[in-house]
Amino acid sequence: MKILIIIPVYNEGNNIEKVISRLKENAPYVDYIVVNDCSSDNTVSLCKKNGFHYISLPVNLGIGGGVQAGYLYALEHNYDIAIQMDGDGQHDAKYIEKVLKPILEDQADIVIGSRFLLKEGFQSSKLRRTGINFLSFLIKLCSGTRVKDVTSGFRAVNKKFIKIYSQEYPQDYPEPEAIIAGAFHGGRIREVPVVMHERESGSSSIHSWKIIYYMIKVSIAIFTYRLKF
Amino acid sequence: MISSSLRLFLTIGLTLYFLLIFSLLKRRTLSLKYTLLWIFGGFGMGILIIFPQILNWFIHIVGIKLASNGVFAIILFFVLIILIYITSIVSKQSDILKRLVQENALLEKRIREIEDKMDKESAPEDEKKE
Repeated sequence: MKILIIIPVYNEGNNIEKVISRLKENAPYVDYIVVNDCSSDNTVSLCKKNGFHYISLPVNLGIGGGVQAGYLYALEHNYDIAIQMDGDGQHDAKYIEKVLKPILEDQADIVIGSRFLLKEGFQSSKLRRTGINFLSFLIKLCSGTRVKDVTSGFRAVNKKFIKIYSQEYPQDYPEPEAIIAGAFHGGRIREVPVVMHERESGSSSIHSWKIIYYMIKVSIAIFTYRLKF
Repeated sequence: MISSSLRLFLTIGLTLYFLLIFSLLKRRTLSLKYTLLWIFGGFGMGILIIFPQILNWFIHIVGIKLASNGVFAIILFFVLIILIYITSIVSKQSDILKRLVQENALLEKRIREIEDKMDKESAPEDEKKE
């Protein structure tokens, strides 16, 4: 089994070394690829200095394009499982085994690491949780799949979905849309509890007013997926 | 009824419109593929000018009182269609661009690795020569 961790980063110079060293400590059996989305800080030079495996996008594509580049890499190098993990230290490499398990046992095609199942660790602000719950409800309504932590970027997919996601992956704020795409491609989606940390430095890619944009866009995305099938 | 002065001005406008389109086409600043819709629209307008009865029939059905308003409505609708078409072109191109960027990044990694390997291989040889 070849397993690849995809770590999309944008200006994570303060976090990247810690993230990779924790990854190597906790999951030495996996390969990883850092996808640098045209950072303007020292992310690339740190990767170079430490000999990390990385690809570097020549222009900024946003999180969706970065993650998709990782899936393309996984496809090109014939990986069996790909795991997405944020480059900001929110996701703990300890839980890699946990998100892998349902796929290794062929219980699921897509596994999402969820911070809301155990309600431990960083839980995000109330406003965001409300938004997340609404999206979760919409996804359940339209695809029949119940996922609580729809914005979690900690997820594992098998070979089938490496191929699908490398062909088609949503662009800005892609996480909930990727779940819908997964459901409509007949993927078995499973959530496993993980504990997330509050990001150590830098800022989240979603700011308050953008939540509204996010909600509308995702709602329309769900609707159009519904139309296609 | 559409007035003859409106018809005159529309004719002049349409002539300028076609002159512009075809001169841009000739200079290859427009590709014919994406200009076809504009040309068809222009022909449609021409037909309306030559046969104003069509316009009268249209405004009567839709319930517009002034013929000039009918002309505006038709033009506006046509422009909206073209804008949607252009948005679809932009979307497709950004998809293509995205894929190019990603492939470029993957290739860059391969070249980087090959170069590193070559550096390592050539380094001992240089020492031997010395």
